[in-house]
Amino acid sequence: MKKALFLFLALAAVVSLGAQDFIMSNGAEPTLDPTLMTDVASTNVGIGLFEGLMAYDPKTNLGTPGVAESYKVSPDGLKVTFILRKTATWSDGTRVTAKDFVYAMKRILDPATGAEYAYMPAMVIKGAQEFNEGKGGFEDVGIKAINDTTVEYSLTGAAPYFADMTAHSAFWPVPQSAVEKYGTDWTKPGNILTNGPYLLKEWKPQEYVLLEKNAKYWDQKNVKIKSIKIYASDNDSTNYNMYKNGEVDWMHGIALSKIDEIKLRKDYQTSAQVGTYYYCFNVTRKPVDDVRVRKALAAAIDKKTLVDKVTKGGQIPTDSWVPPMAGYVPQKGIGFNPEEAKKLLAAAGYPGGKDFPTLTIVYNTNEGHKAIAEYIQQQWKNNLGIDVTLQNMEFKTFLDLRGKAHDFTIARHGWIGDYLDPNTMLDLFMTGSGNNDGLYADPEYDKLIENARLAKGAARMKILQQADAMYLTRDQGMIPIYHYANQDLIDTTKWGGWYATPLGFHSFKYMFKK
Amino acid sequence: MSLERNQVINEFNQQVKPVSLWADAWKRLRRNKMALIGLWIVAVFAVLTLMAPMLPIYSNTEQEMKHINLPPSFKNAGQVALETLQRKANQINAMIANEGRDDLKPELEKVMAEYELIKAEINVNPVHKRVYLMGTDYLGRDMLSRTIYGGRISMLIGFIGTITAVFIGIIIGAIAGYIGGRLDDFLMRFVDIMYGLPYMLVVIILMAMFRKEGQSSVIILFVAIAMVSWLTIARVVRGQIISLKNAEFVEAARSMGASSARIIFRHLLPNTLGVIIVFSTLSLPGFIMSESFLSFLGLGVSAPDASWGTLVSEGVQSMELFPWRLLVPACVMTIFLFAMNFLGDGLRDALDPQSKNRA
Amino acid sequence: MAKYIIRRLLSLIPTMFIIITLSFFLIRVAPGGPFSGEKGLPEQVQQNLLKKYHMDEPLFRQYLRYFGDVLIGNFGPSLRYKESSVNELIAQGFPNSIILGTVALALATFAGICVGILSALKQNRWQDYSAMSLAVIGISVPLFVIGPVLQLVFAMNLKWLPVSGWIFSRAGLKTLILPALTLAFPYFAYIARLSRASILEVLRSDYVRTARSKGLSEGIVIRRHVLKGALLPIVSYLGPAFAGIITGSIVVESIFFIPGIGKIFVQSALNRDYPLIMGEVIVYSLFLVTMNFLVDVLYGFLDPRIAYK
Repeated sequence: MKKALFLFLALAAVVSLGAQDFIMSNGAEPTLDPTLMTDVASTNVGIGLFEGLMAYDPKTNLGTPGVAESYKVSPDGLKVTFILRKTATWSDGTRVTAKDFVYAMKRILDPATGAEYAYMPAMVIKGAQEFNEGKGGFEDVGIKAINDTTVEYSLTGAAPYFADMTAHSAFWPVPQSAVEKYGTDWTKPGNILTNGPYLLKEWKPQEYVLLEKNAKYWDQKNVKIKSIKIYASDNDSTNYNMYKNGEVDWMHGIALSKIDEIKLRKDYQTSAQVGTYYYCFNVTRKPVDDVRVRKALAAAIDKKTLVDKVTKGGQIPTDSWVPPMAGYVPQKGIGFNPEEAKKLLAAAGYPGGKDFPTLTIVYNTNEGHKAIAEYIQQQWKNNLGIDVTLQNMEFKTFLDLRGKAHDFTIARHGWIGDYLDPNTMLDLFMTGSGNNDGLYADPEYDKLIENARLAKGAARMKILQQADAMYLTRDQGMIPIYHYANQDLIDTTKWGGWYATPLGFHSFKYMFKK
Repeated sequence: MSLERNQVINEFNQQVKPVSLWADAWKRLRRNKMALIGLWIVAVFAVLTLMAPMLPIYSNTEQEMKHINLPPSFKNAGQVALETLQRKANQINAMIANEGRDDLKPELEKVMAEYELIKAEINVNPVHKRVYLMGTDYLGRDMLSRTIYGGRISMLIGFIGTITAVFIGIIIGAIAGYIGGRLDDFLMRFVDIMYGLPYMLVVIILMAMFRKEGQSSVIILFVAIAMVSWLTIARVVRGQIISLKNAEFVEAARSMGASSARIIFRHLLPNTLGVIIVFSTLSLPGFIMSESFLSFLGLGVSAPDASWGTLVSEGVQSMELFPWRLLVPACVMTIFLFAMNFLGDGLRDALDPQSKNRA
Repeated sequence: MAKYIIRRLLSLIPTMFIIITLSFFLIRVAPGGPFSGEKGLPEQVQQNLLKKYHMDEPLFRQYLRYFGDVLIGNFGPSLRYKESSVNELIAQGFPNSIILGTVALALATFAGICVGILSALKQNRWQDYSAMSLAVIGISVPLFVIGPVLQLVFAMNLKWLPVSGWIFSRAGLKTLILPALTLAFPYFAYIARLSRASILEVLRSDYVRTARSKGLSEGIVIRRHVLKGALLPIVSYLGPAFAGIITGSIVVESIFFIPGIGKIFVQSALNRDYPLIMGEVIVYSLFLVTMNFLVDVLYGFLDPRIAYK
């Protein structure tokens, strides 16, 4: 025992760590390879290490010049050309060139890479989808390095949001030399080359990532924080305890059970997110194949009380599917109206809830989903006189049931947009779309969305609104419940440059100690 | 005799009736004060949970949004709600005054609006006349009632889990230990394999195969628990039997021509009873808590019903703000487990073959 | 004895073979796959992923491929932690879990046996009752309550110990105290109860009576005769317990944020990270069957009455 103790002490002495200026609690173990990143935790770290043509603006999360100093859109909107700054370098001092972007694009689209976020460039770049499906060659993909400082993208349709999109990890450059030298190990400390404001100093999987300021970063004089430690713990209570004890400066994500206490803190930050929590109907199933039943169920939920008393975390109760966006008027489904709900249910053949079959709400196990389901169950009982049962399951089983077997009548669902445009929400309900779990199918709707791709500006928004109204106002294809809110704990009187943002991306680059 | 002894092992959780030969053991049990108290507590728990629908308590599932997270009190709910809101308003006021937290003003208004609302209807709305002796939960449901109803599934799991575990464990363990050789090897390797399989995925598969929409999954829950619960007991019983099977009294029985079954049940098992009973009472809490793990996978009672396990795991999340949500179910559960434990000890002493000769 | 040991060692091979085979096919039967998420992936992306990991091949072929890899000690890539291999993940986590588990179990065994002896010798007196009450609390109160409560008291309120972290950080060994205590508590309770019961049993046995009647001092009787006999059920409990404490520390590893394999075990099952689940199953069952084997051998030494044939 004594020997063992001595050993521990010796080891503990060897592993001494330098002090960090800033400590973050990230909520999950990140992936550091931009090509393979899929979640917020990875992007949080990645924003420090890498930089795309555009970078996320710290306030709006729209694109702001990153590696590119400027870009140009062709008159038809189908070609976007970026001019790279000559001062942008990798951490070994070599220039970041147009070729790095082409290489990264090839890598993420290559079927052999198996990158999940390949679908994002595949959606907008010409020929990308075909290459990713293995049907076309890379030479047909719409990306071209014209010279070292010019890269040109050809798009499938006019996508006004494309330049902003290049701030996303799926478009970041990747250092070919390191990838080819080290293979999957290229992101390990010592092997990795980064082009962002920070270097990877240390990576203890399942523990933390340690970032250190990159002296070769083109804008390094504006990078204030010298080193950043990012914890990977996914235990909300522990993270919060660490935060309260001053062991963490920024905590991302908050547990529902602590919200009553956290809500009153002055360092509690919320911001509306581009995303909607909703109850998904399988519209092919009785009795929710009847639009009157769907509307009755939707009108019988008091969402304001739900948000005030149950979720409490700054979410915005809503009757709309698309969250508020500049230039777009989100269409509305039916609002809370118990009288109307009763009438609709009676019209559908179930007066006072009589003979209404016992439906089941399925949700994946989580304290928040559970509380919401329990609340809605009671609402439907009180306002419609119908009984529903609740069934929780483990996440993957739930996904299989909801997304693959579609073996449900009502299921909890949520969607968070990838970029700031109504398309990120509305594409979901096209016939056969991979995320159209409720099996909504209307050729007219599909046609409107397709038409919108050819239109521009206000006309385009108008077509999208038409589709929105068709799906929601006319058909009530699901019940929107609330728009998500980002929830963070960070003392903004101590830390500057951190803003509550719509996509939830925060760049360490702009942050500083006040 | 072997048969009766067997029966009592099976029924040790229930009342041991003074059946002829067991009158003796019963007499000894009655003299053990702690065991008797334990027996009474278990009986009271059983009766209370079974009669829950007839008890004068509030519904365990009905929500009252105006009574969220109220502390335990003898006062009327309306009064408690007002006090709670008042406290909160004071807290916010202090923060606004001391820390200049003007951002909290909308929150304060919300609290005050609700305060006024309840104040206005406190004498009109009958729900405010309720008394929540054990407080309420995050949806304004009565904790007392939730805990009583929660005992149903938890106690059932405890009993059934223990009985199946002990039953299968004894049989497998005794056979493996007594017969030994290849059979022992085979059975013990089987136990190893059962330990080795990824239990969580086995349960997920069970659940996916046998669950039906809208149906309760309590049976699958029992199967899931029974599947692995006997493993440890089997190994322990086997170990005991191996160490006893060459003892003099067994040799004596064998030389008198006793059958293997008779030797196992009449001579060997009674001598390992102490350890078996201790193991059973030790496993009981494990079963009750494993229900809360399995309910994570969707087995067992589904919301809005709860079990002790789920109540405790919910309560611990918010124990700093609403300690009663942890303490009420946790204390009730611990009292029950204490009672079972003392009852188990008493049974062990009462059934001890050696103390029988001394009594 | 030697023959028995060899036979037992040989029987490990078919046992492991069956565990690997059964697990391999079982986890594929479970609903849901490694690549599903709240956002569904487009068809072609899924196809690419399946192809990358050879999951588009017939299952039996995948099994043969996997088995071949395992024989040369290659557990494959993790599907969730994409930049790590299963070998790396286990190599990183296993030592940490072993450290935590060993410390906790050593603590639990030592305290448990001491308390068990005390209880047995003072049967039905206050020492016995209070010790056993502590034991009941230890078993009744689940880890996910003990952990946060200890954290709240010692880290948040008293600020004596860090909230979380692991021994290789600046806080060092201090980080081991709370998780080890938490993890040890139920095992302590189990061992205390178990040793009390078996000591009582042994105290009444003929050979102890004989030893006493020979006029040996109580201390010698307990050390030489009682303890040795009473250790059996504890030993047969410790085997699986030691294996279980490694993966059973899931809750503790999560609460105290310890990079062990317990947490990954559960995560891998929930993520359907097939290679990682398999890797963990193999390591865990190898550990377990070895422990059980050692226990069986130990039996022979501890108990002269046992004769292995």
